[in-house]
Amino acid sequence: LHPAQQNPNERTHQSREPVTELSIHSLRDLGFTETQAEQICGSVSKIRGGNATKHAMSTLTALFILGLNASSVLKLLEKCPEVFHVKESLLQQRIDNLRKLGLVEGSLQRVVAYYPQILTVPVKRLRNVVMFLREKCLFTGKQVTDILRESPAVVLENMSQLEYKFQYVYFRMGVKQAEMLKSRLFRFTLDEVRCRHCFLERRGMYETPDKKGQTTIINPKLESILNVSEGTFVTDVAMASAEEYDVFKKLMEREWREEEQQMDSIDTD
Amino acid sequence: EKWAATRAKYPPTTLALRHFDSTYSTQLGKLWPSIRVALLSERKYGALLNNFSFDDIPEDYEAQGCRDFIRDTDTEAQPRLQQESEFVAERESDCVSVQNADADSLQLPPLQLSRNVKCLVFPRGDITRFKPAKPDKSGLLSYYLMDAASVLPCLALNVEDGHNVLDLCAAPGGKTLALLQTHSLGFLCVNDASVSRTMRLKRVLRSYIPKDLLTDEKLRITSFDGTMWGEVETNVFNRVLVDVPCTTDRHSLLEDDNNIFNKSRVGERRRLPQLQTELLLAGILAACPGGEILYSTCTLCRSQNHSVVEQAIQLAQENHGIQLQVVDLRPLTHMFRKTFHFAPDLPLGEMVVPHLAANFGPIYMCKLRRLT
Ligand SMILES: C[S@@+](CC[C@H](N)C(=O)[O-])C[C@H]1O[C@@H](n2cnc3c(N)ncnc32)[C@H](O)[C@@H]1O
Repeated sequence: LHPAQQNPNERTHQSREPVTELSIHSLRDLGFTETQAEQICGSVSKIRGGNATKHAMSTLTALFILGLNASSVLKLLEKCPEVFHVKESLLQQRIDNLRKLGLVEGSLQRVVAYYPQILTVPVKRLRNVVMFLREKCLFTGKQVTDILRESPAVVLENMSQLEYKFQYVYFRMGVKQAEMLKSRLFRFTLDEVRCRHCFLERRGMYETPDKKGQTTIINPKLESILNVSEGTFVTDVAMASAEEYDVFKKLMEREWREEEQQMDSIDTD
Repeated sequence: EKWAATRAKYPPTTLALRHFDSTYSTQLGKLWPSIRVALLSERKYGALLNNFSFDDIPEDYEAQGCRDFIRDTDTEAQPRLQQESEFVAERESDCVSVQNADADSLQLPPLQLSRNVKCLVFPRGDITRFKPAKPDKSGLLSYYLMDAASVLPCLALNVEDGHNVLDLCAAPGGKTLALLQTHSLGFLCVNDASVSRTMRLKRVLRSYIPKDLLTDEKLRITSFDGTMWGEVETNVFNRVLVDVPCTTDRHSLLEDDNNIFNKSRVGERRRLPQLQTELLLAGILAACPGGEILYSTCTLCRSQNHSVVEQAIQLAQENHGIQLQVVDLRPLTHMFRKTFHFAPDLPLGEMVVPHLAANFGPIYMCKLRRLT
């Protein structure tokens, strides 16, 4: 890393003239090529509202310090321009927090590059998600780190959805935490999980274990249900046709929608 | 506490599923998972159009891709049937049993389907629902929602002009309505042992059929025990529909109310094949020589389907000296294979099996002709 990079960074905070800070020249100093620098200036100027341009230089610098190269930064900018609204001090705090949660060098950079949205999440919210995973779902500290690494999107998921997803898999499918991790459960939406499970269940190929954890058939592993493409799931796991599953998805969507409507009408009664 | 003690540990729907899992996985083999998921998911309906209503086919249904499945048949079927219809007359007279004719040597007899029966369905894989029918200006409803596969037994019965027809187990009346759409009936006897269900049947008929067709000269509605029909009236009907009570697989899997898998109804359920055989035999006796009988159920269960037919054929021969011929329904299944999934290789009769993309049935049917 170039120590010189610290300087423009600090100046951004003090200065009230952000436009002059974010320049092709200063970007080239950070290591961007001419074209990349132009692209960045263009993108940043298109970000609407807030003070993106004001934080742009400091954000870019922080990302460089983290160790991302120019092209990853460029991709990140396209994926999640919101990162440029985040103040430098908060950004640093959030990165430090992720380190504290066990994301070591390498993993940390991969997570940020893969899911930059994680830098828009306040430390407090992240703490709540971690607490929820540890206390309500009884994941170990190491497992929580693994979840953050494999499925960082959990941090922005609706908490009650997250809770329902966990409970669904734990109670209805009878799957334990270690297996949830292996299957990268948290990468899938609740509906995807439910739909694949219900399809198997209605075909007679999945059973909820009884109190002793026993079933009369051998359930397929969660990993083999989730960690495969839909096509593979349908033909190799459910041994059905794509047509059947397509119709089934439509039917389930309607079933769930109508269940929810019914619940809503009970609530308002 | 008393309540807790008498409450069943497993609801009837669960018992039904277990029972089906053990029997159908062997009877249907690889087909079972696909039928199972269809049975446990929302079924499809057909809209049997009421020719007596003043209202036209609701236009928006056609715009949405609905079609009359009876006319929308497999395109290969028609030319083949016409070509071969000449052979058929010969073959029919000297062939008593067509049970084991193999597919290559099979010469398809002509199908004389009533032009007047029309039933709309949404295309394969389309899960759109029909709206409830509205009354027209004369108060008649323009269509009746039913399992489209239930129309097949009525078509297979092949009613011709002036025929005397008996519908032995008729309530709530979906198939009766389909039979009445043919406009061909001479006289129709409608029966159902259950008085309350017969009342419902009467209400259905009043909502669909003009009064002048419901007169005593054209129609009789009774509530007899169908098994006793032979003692009242024998050898009179050209066509007899025997749509028996059965385990109603779909209902048994989805509704705990009035479920035949309820612990308290074990005896009744065990006696079903016996009752079904008696009903079919009564239907056979009620038909005239040369007359045709159609047996149907809405279960996949062998012991309620072809076993009953075999048993009844034997009893008719042994106890009443009646010779029966099993009528091949393959032309019919061939014609409608675009709309329904049929079970392959049944020893006797034909069966519509549920499939998610065409979630109709189950409907089993077997047609018999009285030779003597
Ligand atoms: C499958 S349902 C008939 C459905 C009807 N054909 C339709 O399409 O709407 C069977 C009927 O058989 C009647 N049933 C039961 N036992 C009977 C008996 N011994 N004689 C006549 N009908 C009987 C039941 O009341 C029931 O309505």
